[in-house]
Amino acid sequence: MTQTPTAQKKLPPVNHPFADVIHRLEAGGSMLPDTPENLMQIIGIYKAYAIPMDFYWRDLLYIAERVFINPLPAFKYFLPPEYLDLPNKYAGENADLQVWRGKASAHPELLEFIAEGETGKMPKLLHHLNHDRINMEFAEACMQAMFWHEDINPQFNAYLDSDEYQANADRAIKAYFKGNPVMLGMYKLFPNLFLEQVRQLSYYSNLGLFWEVMCPVFLEMSDLYDEGKMTTVKEAMDFLVNGIFAVAGRPIYHHVYIGDECYEIIPKSQGFTWLYEAALPYVEAVFYRTSPFRGTKSYNAQAKQIPDEQKDFHYGILYADVLPVGMAGIPPTLLMDDMWHFLPDYLREYYQKRCRGEDDMLVQLGITFQRSMYNVTSAVIQALRQALLYPLDDTNPEHLKQNREFFTAQINRFLRDEARLRDIQSPDYR
Amino acid sequence: MLSVLIWLPLLAALIVFLIPIKISSSKIKLTASIFSIASLLVSLLALLRYDLQAQGLQLTEFLSWIEVLGINYNLGIDGLSLPLIILSNLLICLSIYSGDLAQNTDLKTGRPRLFYGLILVLSGCINGVLLSQNLLLFFIFYEIKLIPTYLLINIWGGENRAYAGTKYLLYTAFSGIFVLAAFLGIAFLTESGFDYAAIQTQILPYSKQLILLITLVIGFAIKTPLVPLHTWLPDAYTESSTPVSMILGGILSKLGTYGIIRFGLGLFPQIWNDIAIWLAAIAALSALYASFVAISQTDIKRMVAYSSIAHIAFVILATAAGTSIAVTGAICQMFAHGLIVALLFYLVGVIENKTGSRDLSILQGLMNPQRGFPIIGGQMILAIMASAGIPGMVGFVGEYVSFQGSFTVFPTFTTLCLVATGLTSVYFVILVNNAFFGKIDCRKTTAVYPQVTLAERFPAFVLATIIVILGLQPVWLTSITNYSIVASNPTKTTVVAINPINN
Repeated sequence: MTQTPTAQKKLPPVNHPFADVIHRLEAGGSMLPDTPENLMQIIGIYKAYAIPMDFYWRDLLYIAERVFINPLPAFKYFLPPEYLDLPNKYAGENADLQVWRGKASAHPELLEFIAEGETGKMPKLLHHLNHDRINMEFAEACMQAMFWHEDINPQFNAYLDSDEYQANADRAIKAYFKGNPVMLGMYKLFPNLFLEQVRQLSYYSNLGLFWEVMCPVFLEMSDLYDEGKMTTVKEAMDFLVNGIFAVAGRPIYHHVYIGDECYEIIPKSQGFTWLYEAALPYVEAVFYRTSPFRGTKSYNAQAKQIPDEQKDFHYGILYADVLPVGMAGIPPTLLMDDMWHFLPDYLREYYQKRCRGEDDMLVQLGITFQRSMYNVTSAVIQALRQALLYPLDDTNPEHLKQNREFFTAQINRFLRDEARLRDIQSPDYR
Repeated sequence: MLSVLIWLPLLAALIVFLIPIKISSSKIKLTASIFSIASLLVSLLALLRYDLQAQGLQLTEFLSWIEVLGINYNLGIDGLSLPLIILSNLLICLSIYSGDLAQNTDLKTGRPRLFYGLILVLSGCINGVLLSQNLLLFFIFYEIKLIPTYLLINIWGGENRAYAGTKYLLYTAFSGIFVLAAFLGIAFLTESGFDYAAIQTQILPYSKQLILLITLVIGFAIKTPLVPLHTWLPDAYTESSTPVSMILGGILSKLGTYGIIRFGLGLFPQIWNDIAIWLAAIAALSALYASFVAISQTDIKRMVAYSSIAHIAFVILATAAGTSIAVTGAICQMFAHGLIVALLFYLVGVIENKTGSRDLSILQGLMNPQRGFPIIGGQMILAIMASAGIPGMVGFVGEYVSFQGSFTVFPTFTTLCLVATGLTSVYFVILVNNAFFGKIDCRKTTAVYPQVTLAERFPAFVLATIIVILGLQPVWLTSITNYSIVASNPTKTTVVAINPINN
């Protein structure tokens, strides 16, 4: 049963091309229409996303902490057993905060895929060379988007430029190349080159720590759906909002392990938190901005097809044309391919009956992923409103007006033609 | 044996017409297919029994029919008709195979018996036209084929099919009148009857010869067609269903050029050069005009139709030159044109069938691997390259040999036609760039086009394979086109045009 939201009782209807969506947000809902079909799709895709994500966060931390500035990191995607067994701090019985009731170590379906891939059991190197593996290149593309859009994470970036950070990095670099005069000599010659690499590795850690949370969140949502305890899109969004607040204060840090020693490049004591230094920059950099992927389309920068300002970039999943999916080497394709391996049966059957079935499943699941990320973005918008503004049932019309202005400002970002907000309102967009 | 090529399809048509109504469409198609394949096999058998080294008519058949009128049942095959017979039977097979593309037009009735039956009647008539060695027998088949063609356009065509069908009927009927007038004139004035071999036009005064030749050429120029007698073609080709377009573009247009070579050049070699320069000028004009018009088209089928006019003009140019190598080139170009135009029309038909549109402003991104037709796109690019005369494909063989033959006689007009081949790339690049490159908008739900099945790709594969094989091994084509008639005194320069192909 739908209740008329307080804002709509107290304020006149909004005059906006996305008035329906704004009213839905004011009622505590999501930008994604609340239909069983949408729920089924987004939960299915969260599950399919969570399993490769379980690899992404482990490998991102492995690269940040162990591979570090290896000049030839040929095996950085070969996750050692200790990182596969690394307990997720938000899953399992011994978790700091148990979000998912499953295992804290790597997901069983992930382990099975690592062992067999699409092709069958064979040495890891052959799987790797055959590209029959989890596409870490996608995770790295996300990391690079966060690293490149410097303006969205000011405090974290300010620290990366601080003397303290440089001293920490310097210690770690010297320790890492101890006994290697060639690399130490290179470091002496080009210190900034090495430092920039460490800064990037700090973003590896940042994103790894962010996804360590999201992975169990998505898995738990999938389990709740399977158990019949999650029945609406709004509930799915609320679960995300609650999750965001539950782990908002999680420290973001960058530790490097060289031998038995731990070098704290960004110590936990620095006070960087999951919500402000990881989650929000991630959403801005990856969902909204990213950068035009090579190979998807030819852009003419002189003809202003690329915005002058980085902040105006709009190539993220909320704007993306999913159809270039299927072309080699493009990050979205890599992600779709990863998710395709772990689709739950109900979603696979759903796709098989639609469009071109098996043949364009990557595109179909890409569009579902787009829907699901509009829901995650809705959760972030609601969380921000909750953190910065007023409750939805506030009785003060002025407060409700400010809430509305906030929602409108957020939705205005989707007024440009490329945005898919209008498309996801219809079930026919697939 | 040659009679089988005429009567087998007609018998098959009768059988198909008489199939009970409860028999499914696919079985009717199967029946028609079997007969058309049998007909193709017979034409290939004729090729086996044909002596490639010998000149003149072979496998002849003669039956006296209406002696008073001079109509005899006189069949034969030579280097001019043999490749066209094979081409015709091949394209009929492929058209029947792709008959389903005609069955889902807005005319839901389908009427498969009538459709496949008419195609078989048409097949028999085309074979009759190509095999007849008696002018009136030729004319009978030439006229009878109008009826099935008219019906095929008018029943299974697009929205303006009635207009297109009637226009086609009128133009072709006029073509028939001119041809008949010329035939009667030849037979009565020379008093040598209607049998091709017996006709001696050189006994006539020059003016009579010239009038007869011009009448004949006008008759066949309508059929070919040459600008400005071409206006029926874009409508007829565009409004026809895909299998019919394949037959119209692939075979029927060749009957005009066949007629010009067989009866124009063949019966009037001694005065051919007097009209040749005008014919060459008109051919060059046709090629350029049709190419420029093709560039401005937004309907891809219409674009292919205009391209067909431009490329058939090369045949006329080579025929006008009248040298041995030019005539070989003309025959090769007819064969190549038939294959390429049929392939282009087939691919356009598949695209129309799957997307519901032929409009360049609507179609885009069809090369998309997930939701487009990448293989059809690849075949389209191959067809376009063949049409533009890229070496390695049969289009190059036809155009190169034609131009080599005609350049020595008409260097200016040949150069103009070479410009037209360049323009082929222009309009077809426009086509590919608009329809196949770019991106599909998956926001439009209608853009999720159905897949093209392997079976639907089959005709295109067959045509593409032949186009490439004959492009790589052109001798297989040129060796069966040893047609001996040339203009008696083409020009002084032709003596240097030693035919390297038959050496």
